[in-house]
Amino acid sequence: MIESIIESLVNLLGEDWRAGLEYITNGKHMMWYASIRFTLIAAIAGAAFAVLFGLLGAALKQSAIAPLRWIGSFYVNIVRGVPDVLFFLFFPLAFEQFVEYIFSRTRCTAEEIASNAGSWPPCDAAQWYLEGNDYLILACVSFGIVYGAFAANVIHGAMQAVPHGQLEAAQAYGFTKKQVFWRFKVRQMWTYALPGLSNVWMLLLKATSLLSLLQIADIVLWADRLGAPNYLARAGMVHPDWRWKYYLVLFVFYILMTMLSERVFDWLQRRANRGMVEVN
Amino acid sequence: MDWITNWLANSAIVQDIITLAKPATFNLYFALISIPLGFPFAMLLALGKNSKNRILSTLSKAYIYAFRGSPLFIQFFMFYSFALSLNRSLWKPWGIDEIVLHPLFLGPLVLVLNTSAYAAEIFYGVMRTVPNGQIEAARAIGMNRWQEFWSVTWPNTIRLAWPAYTNEVVFLFHATALVYFTLPVINDQKDLMNKAGELFEKDYNVFLHFSVAALYFVAISMFIFFTFGLVQKYLSRHIRKEERQKFRFKPNYMR
Repeated sequence: MIESIIESLVNLLGEDWRAGLEYITNGKHMMWYASIRFTLIAAIAGAAFAVLFGLLGAALKQSAIAPLRWIGSFYVNIVRGVPDVLFFLFFPLAFEQFVEYIFSRTRCTAEEIASNAGSWPPCDAAQWYLEGNDYLILACVSFGIVYGAFAANVIHGAMQAVPHGQLEAAQAYGFTKKQVFWRFKVRQMWTYALPGLSNVWMLLLKATSLLSLLQIADIVLWADRLGAPNYLARAGMVHPDWRWKYYLVLFVFYILMTMLSERVFDWLQRRANRGMVEVN
Repeated sequence: MDWITNWLANSAIVQDIITLAKPATFNLYFALISIPLGFPFAMLLALGKNSKNRILSTLSKAYIYAFRGSPLFIQFFMFYSFALSLNRSLWKPWGIDEIVLHPLFLGPLVLVLNTSAYAAEIFYGVMRTVPNGQIEAARAIGMNRWQEFWSVTWPNTIRLAWPAYTNEVVFLFHATALVYFTLPVINDQKDLMNKAGELFEKDYNVFLHFSVAALYFVAISMFIFFTFGLVQKYLSRHIRKEERQKFRFKPNYMR
């Protein structure tokens, strides 16, 4: 199929374009284009986790039980107080060690643990070998935890913004506390939360460029590989250092993604505002 | 008193705090260079976006949009590879290749380009809310546009934008963690994340090393909030206490 597309493009643009078109559709470049899936999966799954953790964090922050409230505030403030890249790297490593610790309880003998004191893992049997997709899942959860803290703040504020009269009216109609929370507060909160959540989405989208730090072969890693000076003994110098071209493409790619996201959020906001009284 | 000195000498946390003190200065260096350079550039960009000159405002808008709409991580890679590809034709012949390609130069450069876009958006948003009556008053007493800017727009913008700008500075400080993930590490010039990663590879104690690195980030962020809070107090000293914008110690962390 690609060959026929190239043929028709060459017919349209002239023979000069053939080499270039064939170059940007060779196997490695197709791998690069396909690796966009990691970025998109991480962004969408990360956003889903972030909303989940955001709701949880917001619920903790306004809990009636003081220790739960403290946990909520601690989560929100500490995660936002450190750079996202620090937590993004910390969580997968910490989770891996946690799993290996659990493995070591059953798989290692006491002597092995004693002789391996000060190093990790406690014994070879407890080693947990992670593969590409495992790292992707851990990255998604990691994004969820980091941006969940941002989302928790947004959702918490949005819940306070729901008009009190509405909740009182619901109570007066005999809805239980739980029903008032889920059917009125959470449902109405979204219009107030959307601008903030759109902001969190933009941050998350930009953070997906960090995936290569967890050894995931994402668009950034491929851009680096493809752009590096390419020398073949048979063909001589194929191209010099072209990394700046590939990074420029990524730069534009992310700007386009931001534009697209803005449009989607504008549409969502209009949808969420249906039936609301227009202020000002 | 002996047990205190003993504990200090043997405690792994204290050891880590001492080891990470020097790397922390690299993060501080990047932030301290970028903030004063980014501030005036951001102000110019905000004025550009606000200007009536179509070309100027379009250019400023495009710049701000591009740098806010793409990851800093990519920007670092992009500018580093730009600099590398110009090495043979420009930097080498001029004999400045070691300076231009040095992370201590290139890092702050990209940070300035990035933070000024974010800060410009903040300043631009605030410039539009400068009290209209004050501008009218300035015009009524016959100030020219320069005087109007210096005596009305500028002081109001700074004061109103300060809390949001404080946030941006903290974010910039956090962004310094990315410098050495993208630029080459020269000799022992390592920042907090680098050094924490190196310590982690030695004994796999992720909780200790990353927590201490996080501690440095949190502590310095708090210090930024504190000092910028003092400036906010100074900037709004002429305003009645009840009307002062309350400077929140834990402001909205949204960039």
